[in-house]
Amino acid sequence: MIFGRHSVLKRGCSTWDPKQFPRAEFESRLDTVRKEMAHRDLDALVIYGDNYSFADLCYLTNYFPKVRGGIAVVPRDGALSLLLNIGSRDVPFAKTLTWVDDVRASNQVGSAGAELVKEKGFAKSRLGLVDSGEGFPLPQLEEMKRALPDVQWTNEDALFEPARLKKSPLELNAMRAAGHLLNAVCEDAQKVIKPGRKEYEIVADIDRLARDAGAEDIRILTGEKRLQPPSFKQSADVGNHWALYLAVQHERYWAEAGRTYVAPGDGKLRAAYEKAREVVARMAAELRPGNPVAAVDDIARRELGEFYATAAVYGLGNGIGLNQWEAPFLNDDDARRVSAPSAGATELTENTTVALRVVFETEGKLVMFGDSFVVTQNGPVSLTSKT
Amino acid sequence: MDGPQEYSQRMSKIRQGMRDQGIETLLIFDSGRHNFLRMNYVAYLTDFISIGPETILVVPAENEPILFLTPSWDIARAKDESWVADIRPFKDFWSLLSKLSGKIGLVGREAMHIRLHDEIVKTLKRAPVNAKDLIENIARRKTEFELERLRKAAAIADAGVQALHEDARPGLKEYELAAIVEHRMRSLGAEDNFGMVVAHHHNSALHPPTARVVEKGDIIIGEITPCVGGLFVQICRTVVLGQPPPVVEEKYAILKRAMRLGMDAAKTGAPASDVAAAINGTLIEAGYEKYCRPPFMRVRGHGLGCGSSAPGNLEDGNETPLEEGMTFIVHPNQYLPETGYMTLGDTVLMTRSKAEPMTHSSWDLYVKD
Repeated sequence: MIFGRHSVLKRGCSTWDPKQFPRAEFESRLDTVRKEMAHRDLDALVIYGDNYSFADLCYLTNYFPKVRGGIAVVPRDGALSLLLNIGSRDVPFAKTLTWVDDVRASNQVGSAGAELVKEKGFAKSRLGLVDSGEGFPLPQLEEMKRALPDVQWTNEDALFEPARLKKSPLELNAMRAAGHLLNAVCEDAQKVIKPGRKEYEIVADIDRLARDAGAEDIRILTGEKRLQPPSFKQSADVGNHWALYLAVQHERYWAEAGRTYVAPGDGKLRAAYEKAREVVARMAAELRPGNPVAAVDDIARRELGEFYATAAVYGLGNGIGLNQWEAPFLNDDDARRVSAPSAGATELTENTTVALRVVFETEGKLVMFGDSFVVTQNGPVSLTSKT
Repeated sequence: MDGPQEYSQRMSKIRQGMRDQGIETLLIFDSGRHNFLRMNYVAYLTDFISIGPETILVVPAENEPILFLTPSWDIARAKDESWVADIRPFKDFWSLLSKLSGKIGLVGREAMHIRLHDEIVKTLKRAPVNAKDLIENIARRKTEFELERLRKAAAIADAGVQALHEDARPGLKEYELAAIVEHRMRSLGAEDNFGMVVAHHHNSALHPPTARVVEKGDIIIGEITPCVGGLFVQICRTVVLGQPPPVVEEKYAILKRAMRLGMDAAKTGAPASDVAAAINGTLIEAGYEKYCRPPFMRVRGHGLGCGSSAPGNLEDGNETPLEEGMTFIVHPNQYLPETGYMTLGDTVLMTRSKAEPMTHSSWDLYVKD
C-alpha cells in the first residue's frame, strides 16, 4: 500500500453541493445499508471516522471530519445522529457539510457516544461497530463499551464494502472531477519541476496548484531515489529526474496518479518511464467485469520480471474512492488489513474504481507511473483522462 | 546541541525513567497520525515522523532500540532521518514481542487501535502498563534543539501572515486565500499546517475554507500553524479588506488589550488558568461575559504537539504551572455580536520569569485598501 503523510487538518475547500450529491443519494445508500443491518440482525450501527479515514462515515452522512474524529449512530429505523469531536461553535459549519439534522459536539466521543446510544433506546441491543480505518481511540472506545454493559457488540468493519465497491453514477462523476483536477495538476507540474530548485519549493507549487483548483486534501510523495513525504529535511536540489506520487481529494473522493519527470536527453530513463506506462496500460487492460483481481497482479509480475519485487513493495494498486486505498486489493496482506476478501477470491465488477501504479528502480533512480481507472463493460477508462 | 547529542540525552532520560519504574522494555507506538495537539512519542525519540498505521519503537533497558514500521518501503527514509540503527518491517515485531519478559511499559496507547492492543496483550499474555507520563514529563520544557526548529517555524508563520497582507484581495475564493498562506509557508520549508483562513463581513467561527468569494469589507480571520521538524507554531491575526467601520477597530482593541493582559499573566510558576482569567476578565469588563463561554469561546490558548503539549489548554481550572521552556499559544480569539469572530494570538516561550512571543507580526488590525 502507498501512504502519504496525513494532513493535521483537512484545510482545502470544504463544501457540499446538494445538486451534485442530493439527499436522495444518501437515502438510497442508507436503504442499502439498513437492509444489510436487518440481514445481520443489528439494531443500530456506531460508525467511527476521523480526518485520516472517513469513508464509511462519509458514505452515509457526507460529513468528513476536518480534525479529530466522530461517530454516526445509525438506527435500523429512525433518524441518524452525528457526534463529533469539535467545539460547539463549530456545529453550524459542520451542518453545511451533511444532510444529517442532528449534529452534536463533544470532546468525549466515548462517554457522550454512550449517552447518545442510550438516548436512542439502544442500551440493551445488538450494535455493529464500524471502524474500518482503525481510528477509534482506544480509551474512548473502552469508555463507550464500559458505559453500555448490556450492549452486544459485533465487528462490522466490512459491512459497507459491497455497497462502496460499485460506484454510483454520481460517485463516478465526482471521481472524474477529482481525476481531471489531478491531471491538470500533473500537467502544470511540468512547468515548475526544474533542475536546481529545492524539492520543498516544487512541492509548495504543486500543492498550490491543487488547492487553487479546489482540492479538499492532497498527498504528495516525491524523490529521485525513493518516494518520501514533504519534510523540512527535504532540501536537496532537484536534478534531471524526479518521481512524483500525487493523490487529491475533491468532493470527498480521491484520485491518484504517478509521474516521473525526466530532463530532455536522458534516453535511458525516458525508456524506463515508457516501460512503466506500458506495464500500467497492460495491467489496466485486465480491468474488465468478471476478471479476477489477481489477473492484474499476474500481468505485472510477468511484465516487470526482476523489477516486480520493488514494485510490489510500493503496492501495484488497490481500489480507490472515499478512501485512498479500499477494496478491491491486489494482494492479500492489504486485503486482510481491512477485512476485505482475498485478492484471489475477488472478481472485478462494473463501476469499480481502481488505482494502479508501477514503481521501480533503474540505475539507482526511481521511476513511477500510476493512474486511476473505472472498470466498464468496454474495458478500463482512465479517471484522469479528459476524453 | 546537535541532533545526536539531543536524542542521546532523551534516551538517557527515558532509560532512567524505566529504571525508576522497574520497566524492562518500553513499547512506544505511533499510528502515523501526526497531531498538532498531541505528542508524537516516536518522533520525539527518533526524529522520524512515520506515515504508516503501525510504528513501534522497542526500547530495552540495556540493549539498543529497534524501530518496527509500516510501510516497509519507508524504512530507507527512517534510516536516513533517525539515529536508530536497527529498523525492521512491522511484521517482525511479533516474534520479538513474544520473547519479552519482565515489566513492559506502553506509550501511545491513546492512539492505538483496539485490535492491535488486544494482539499485544494476547502475545504478552498480560497488559503492558501505561507509561506515557515517562515521556510527557521529560518533554515538558523545550530544549535549544527544539527551540531552533520552533524559531524557524515562527519565522515561517510570520511569513504566512505577510503573504496574506500582500496578496489578499476581493474576488478570490476563500480556499484560494488559504492557499496563498499555505504556499508561502511551504515554499519556506513548512511540512504541514493546521491552518484556517476564512473571510466574511461577520464571521461566526474559524473553519476550513469554502468556495465563498471574498468581498470588499470582509474581515479575514486566520489561525495559521506551520510545522517544522514535527513541531508546530501558531499565529492568529485579523485582516480587513477596505477601511473597517469604527466598531471593528473599537472591538478589536479589546482583543489587543486581552492579549496584552494575557501575556502579562503568563508568569513562570503561575497556573495556566491565570492566562485564561486575564483574557476572560478583559472581555467580561467590556460586557461580554456570556461570550466567554460555549458555544462562543472556552479555551484561551493551548500547548502545541509533537513535543509535549504541556501546559494543556489555557482554561479555567487548569492549575498546571507554567514552566521555563514551555511553549504554547495565547489567543484571545473572540466572537463579538457587533463584529463577528476576530482572531489574535502568538505562540510564546516561557523564559525564566515570563512569556516571550516567538512570532513577531504586529498585533494591529491589518487594513488592506
